[in-house]
Amino acid sequence: MAVSRIGYVSLFVTDLTAARRHYVEVVGLCETDRDAGGRLYLQAADNQDHHCLILTAAPHAGIDHVAFKVGEVQDLAEAQAAVQARGVTVRQVPAGDVLGAGAAIAFSLPSGQEMRLLHHLDKIGYATGMRNPNPVPPRGKPGARSTHLDHLLLAGERPADTAQFLIDVLDFNLSEQVVAPDGSVIAAFTTCGHTMHDLAIAPGPNGHLHHIAFGLESRSDVIGAVDIMKEAGTKMMEYGPTRHGVSGVTTIYFFDPAGNRNEVYNGAYQAGGVPGLIPPIVWQAQEFPRGAFYYESVVPESFFAEVT
Amino acid sequence: MALKHQGIHRLGYVRLALADPRLLRARAFYCEQFGLLESRRGPGRLYLRCWHEPFAYSLVLEESTDNRLVEIGFQVRDDADLARLAGLVERTGVAVERSDAGAELESLGTSIAFTIPGGPLLRLYADMAQPGYVTGYDSPDWVTPRPLRGTPAPFFLNHVGFTAPDPQAAVTFLRQVLGFVVSERIDSADGTLLSALLFRMSKEVGGQELAVFPGPAGRLHHIAFTKEDPNDILLAGMYLREAGADIDRYGPTRQPYGKTFSLHCFDPFGARLELCAGGRVTEVHSEFEPVVWDEAQLGKALSWYDRDLQTAFLEPSLG
Repeated sequence: MAVSRIGYVSLFVTDLTAARRHYVEVVGLCETDRDAGGRLYLQAADNQDHHCLILTAAPHAGIDHVAFKVGEVQDLAEAQAAVQARGVTVRQVPAGDVLGAGAAIAFSLPSGQEMRLLHHLDKIGYATGMRNPNPVPPRGKPGARSTHLDHLLLAGERPADTAQFLIDVLDFNLSEQVVAPDGSVIAAFTTCGHTMHDLAIAPGPNGHLHHIAFGLESRSDVIGAVDIMKEAGTKMMEYGPTRHGVSGVTTIYFFDPAGNRNEVYNGAYQAGGVPGLIPPIVWQAQEFPRGAFYYESVVPESFFAEVT
Repeated sequence: MALKHQGIHRLGYVRLALADPRLLRARAFYCEQFGLLESRRGPGRLYLRCWHEPFAYSLVLEESTDNRLVEIGFQVRDDADLARLAGLVERTGVAVERSDAGAELESLGTSIAFTIPGGPLLRLYADMAQPGYVTGYDSPDWVTPRPLRGTPAPFFLNHVGFTAPDPQAAVTFLRQVLGFVVSERIDSADGTLLSALLFRMSKEVGGQELAVFPGPAGRLHHIAFTKEDPNDILLAGMYLREAGADIDRYGPTRQPYGKTFSLHCFDPFGARLELCAGGRVTEVHSEFEPVVWDEAQLGKALSWYDRDLQTAFLEPSLG
């Protein structure tokens, strides 16, 4: 089979208690576990896996690694061979390195972040259960109605290299891209399925994170999330709620207390599912402000400057 | 062997036969009231698509003397998939019919077709022509095209429901031969399978391209189209009612079975249509676990708001 979906993101935060409060009471995740090393595990209501986010206390914010899942156990060996054939070093990660996770392989993306591929994550079930479940979040659950971790945007000095690696080696598909007048790729949106993007890459220093994004069920839920953030005093981006011209979804950017950028969004989009089937949408660089913030059509300087 | 998505990877189209000379009533409903785009008109056929779809069509309507589901089309990655799946299907004793490009439907590449046990005809193909996104590929406005505003104008074909006398046999075939994954199922009181939702696509949310309900072999249960969110479903309901469409008694509702916000209505020929938003977070993965419903909870499964079980909702539609 193939890469099936984003599994989880592991982030560094400077204050674990403050970060927990943010991800539980604002983003709306549930704490699912905590390990001996003090790492915190969280999951959104509509994902049946053990976690979609790991928080580790560190002197600085940023991304530890991102893990994608493969559909079959034997895919791991195939993935390892494909990554190594590209000349990239692969490290074996034993099961249990993070709670709930089976054996993984780890390697560096061309933009420097660590990517892991794994097959197994323990099942905890949907938040409302697996038998005759209610379709709404459990009563009393605080925060936004986040359903799942949807995608992440990484920073890189040569975004095209990371996109091409994902397409050539891991069978990702390019759905949209931002292109400079000379034809070079400024930003790329890639998916391992039919979503608009599972992993996107934009200009910035290697090894850095631009944002992680959670899905919501409706545009009303985006507005409701902003109301919660304002009450909680969450640091927000200057625009929003707004709409991305790229992908056409309704969205808001904000920050966790350590400075990692978050997004919640709602929208419908269906990509080709396999690379090359549907030609990618191309955003000319001069149109990118409309692509980033459709209503305002201006990109604030901080948008690319602030990465962790 | 490289890491590669293989086999069926997307729901392509539904093909219906309608007792509608020159398809004038069908065109008036689907294009003017429901908000689909006419891709092309072939001899005795109308090819339609949703505005967010780049492919030639997702709904084929053809003139007939009766109303019925003809077939459901799924896209596979390449011709090697077609040959491999044809072999797997034939090994189960099910006959496979091969068609050259363009022979069966316009804009369609080489295809194979077979009838699943107790279910409808499925057609698999690797290639379908792409007229392209109507909003273009160059820094597009991803906004509903002006001529479609004021109609439901769904984004994509979402899933197709059909009836089968032995739902378990149909589901077993879909899983074991074609690689579908069950996202949800309803177990009857005696433990047999009553209904199931199945998927092959990895979407943000949504675990169904096929839905199986108990009933006669291969009849249409419903065709579902994607809307952005519940607010859009409410708006679409207003437009449909204004146009005189026959809206199902559940009205706009949250449907726990599939976890969508949905509205069902009927086309002029009796085909049940659904507009849905959302869906469950699913994954094409060997350890994925389905949601299980007990038959006793059927009322709640079908409508979170109404709760009363309308047995008419379980009936096949169209013909």
